[in-house]
Amino acid sequence: MSSKLMIDIGSTYFKVAQEGEIEQYFRDFNKNIFDDLSSKCASLIEQYSEENIHICSSANGGLSTLIIGLTNSFSLKYAINIAFNSGINIIDTVLYPKIEQEPVPTEMIDVVIIVGGIDSVENVFDEKLLDYLDRVNYQNIVYVGTKKSTPFLQENIENIVVLENVISDKLKIQEEALKTYLTDLYQADIMGKEDIKQLYGITTNQIFSTPYIVNRSLSEISEHMDVADPFIVVDIGGATTDIHYSRDLVNDNILTDSGYDRLVFKKLGVFKSRESLVHTAKNNEFVFELLEHLNVTENILEEYSEKATRTLMQLAIFLVLYKVSKHHASYIELNLEILNSIVLTGGITKVLTQEEVDDIILFFYKKILHFHHAPKILLDQNYEIWTYGITGSSLKE
Amino acid sequence: MSLLQREREIIVNNEYIDRFDFEEVEEFIRGASKNLFISHKFKTADHMLVQPRGGFPTYDKVFQLYKEFKEANVDVLPLTIDSNTRLNDYASAKKMLALSEENDVDMLNGYPLVNHGYRTTRKMITHYDTPVSLRHGTPDARLLVETALASGIFEIEGGPITYLLPYSKNFPMDKAFLYWKYVERVCAKYSELNEPINRESFGPLSATLQPPAIVIVIQLLEMLLSLEEGVKSFSVSFSQTGSMLQDIVSSNVIKKLARKYADRFGHEDATINLVYHQWMGAFPRNKEYSDSLINTSTVIAAMVGADKIITKTRNEAFGIPTKEANAMAVANVKYTLGMLKGLPTVGDEEEEENLTNEVDEILEAVFNDGADTLWRKVFNSIKKGYIDIPFSPHIINANEVITIRDPQSNIRILKKGKLPISEKSFAYERSKIKLAEGERVVDKIIQDIGIML
Repeated sequence: MSSKLMIDIGSTYFKVAQEGEIEQYFRDFNKNIFDDLSSKCASLIEQYSEENIHICSSANGGLSTLIIGLTNSFSLKYAINIAFNSGINIIDTVLYPKIEQEPVPTEMIDVVIIVGGIDSVENVFDEKLLDYLDRVNYQNIVYVGTKKSTPFLQENIENIVVLENVISDKLKIQEEALKTYLTDLYQADIMGKEDIKQLYGITTNQIFSTPYIVNRSLSEISEHMDVADPFIVVDIGGATTDIHYSRDLVNDNILTDSGYDRLVFKKLGVFKSRESLVHTAKNNEFVFELLEHLNVTENILEEYSEKATRTLMQLAIFLVLYKVSKHHASYIELNLEILNSIVLTGGITKVLTQEEVDDIILFFYKKILHFHHAPKILLDQNYEIWTYGITGSSLKE
Repeated sequence: MSLLQREREIIVNNEYIDRFDFEEVEEFIRGASKNLFISHKFKTADHMLVQPRGGFPTYDKVFQLYKEFKEANVDVLPLTIDSNTRLNDYASAKKMLALSEENDVDMLNGYPLVNHGYRTTRKMITHYDTPVSLRHGTPDARLLVETALASGIFEIEGGPITYLLPYSKNFPMDKAFLYWKYVERVCAKYSELNEPINRESFGPLSATLQPPAIVIVIQLLEMLLSLEEGVKSFSVSFSQTGSMLQDIVSSNVIKKLARKYADRFGHEDATINLVYHQWMGAFPRNKEYSDSLINTSTVIAAMVGADKIITKTRNEAFGIPTKEANAMAVANVKYTLGMLKGLPTVGDEEEEENLTNEVDEILEAVFNDGADTLWRKVFNSIKKGYIDIPFSPHIINANEVITIRDPQSNIRILKKGKLPISEKSFAYERSKIKLAEGERVVDKIIQDIGIML
């Protein structure tokens, strides 16, 4: 961190890092981001040239996507992987053969991704797709499937962007074109938000989404923390929980350039998603044993107190591990048995103590995996992981 | 505490092992008998070392296996690790070990070293006072190797390429490189305490029509990756190709180039040995033919001047051999080697020149990659298909190279994919191939794979 100023704009805090020091500032919601930042850090910002200021942001909530794919094994799996790793939130996925029975999302979708087939496959998409899309409220649409379907889609879908197929002829993932498109789209989204747009007055570098930057930081992490691969980074925030995981924890056929992938749980947060977190907790078969272990009653889930917040945070840690364990079939199952380290970052590191985190993770390992001890657990209390990847030094080639 | 040591502390803090005492392990290695170090044996032996393969789930069975081997005058003992341990699935290994011990049935295809632990295993290793070679196939061998070294096993086979591309479908290769870097560093660290720990690369790869140029390139790269971390004793290896001439040519080239590249990268103080694997492909079901095949490969091992031979048994076509069959194979190989002293040096100038050119051309392309570290240059080269192993199951492997045999049974490159070999080298390969009128390549490949059946 020699002569760089790094800024992470979050929804409740912004963090400023320089010369190894990280300062956190609580957002003043009466001001826009730029004015708020300027009022608190003007003298610091003046010391750096535009090319030495790097900014990432999660304040605009990120982009949402709907993915329509031909198969779960290839097209959906690959597109989901690319979307997550680009810092995009997936609203829903649609399996094309069942598209007529699929519900249509009610919210506005930032980008629809259509994918399916290797380039030699013909007649993949038909009127069913058009009928479905007519009912979807979206802003952008991109096609990354078989070339043979391109003419049909271009003729019938306005403003569709066609990119390289994400599935190669050898059924391998080709991520670059879609990944670039999605990160550029994020950029465009930022430019459309007056709040953040002004930040380009102080930097010439691209502003990326914070999850994308965190993911890029992971290959550097062991140089700064006592972390041994395979590890996961759990980022529990107010609205969502991100997990960044080492690729040797999964058993699939995706070969990407990064050794780490990202997964998002949209409804596991301790503030904005509190209700769905509580709902998920109540439906978990282990929750009562967990509450008993924490020495609290079920009533804590209805309370609004510091104690309740701490309990919810511990619940979130447990639930997120549960959701990626072999006991819960979802998009990804992580081999938690071979995990060497767990790193926690995000809002919870400012609230929970190391002991509270150790306690809940050990409970998970004992109860769910029948282990006697847990992997090494680290808290990113300085909130610094994002600084390792923001300047692009991790992009070795 | 160094970064490596901090990582080691995390790795050994594992559910399935007892408390790991680094100080005690260092003390043990510092005072360990020289007889346990194959690097010492290479230096002092006046004959080719003979090493079988073998491993059973229970301590007692391995103890008995070693007893048989010692009676057959073995030079190096093997410890083959079970498949669950190779996949870091110590929970399954633990269950299967318990079942094996309770019912006296082998529920694992090898020895679950991590579950047995180093304190137990060390008793057996020190009892026999003979070098033991760790044979596994593990992409992430960090804990396994820590346990092996602490047990007194001072030869570690494998590497980030040779234990990944032939063995795994989708384990991330960048991780494999980093995990093996850890292994090399630990081996290098312990090498300072006594005799050097020997690292041995696995030359047979997928054991199916492997072109010598690819085999040698990978051997040399794994050697360089190991030496750059401080390892001082390294064994390159390859397996019987099916052509005596090609084996002799391969050995002459690999010996020459291993020394050349080690010196070029500043590792003049490293000792490099050559290991020859008896036939690694499909064995005949006729046991007399198997005996003949094993005998012939012993002769070839003597011709190529290998420092060590790794044996097969006449039961190869039928599964895991019994300890008696294994010991018999060792005794027979030792007997045959006794008749093969003072052999003339044989070579083929034209073949050696072509093979040398191919290896140099591929390595030049690897070294010219723009990455900042050797491992990443190699990683990128594999991704680009510059290094491409026929019949690898791994998704990163290009699988574009096609090889078949020429009329003299030499393995030749029919399609080079993205191998960065010159037109001249490739033309030489193609010029040797003779396909019969109307013969399909796929039929020829099947026939060539089953050449010994």
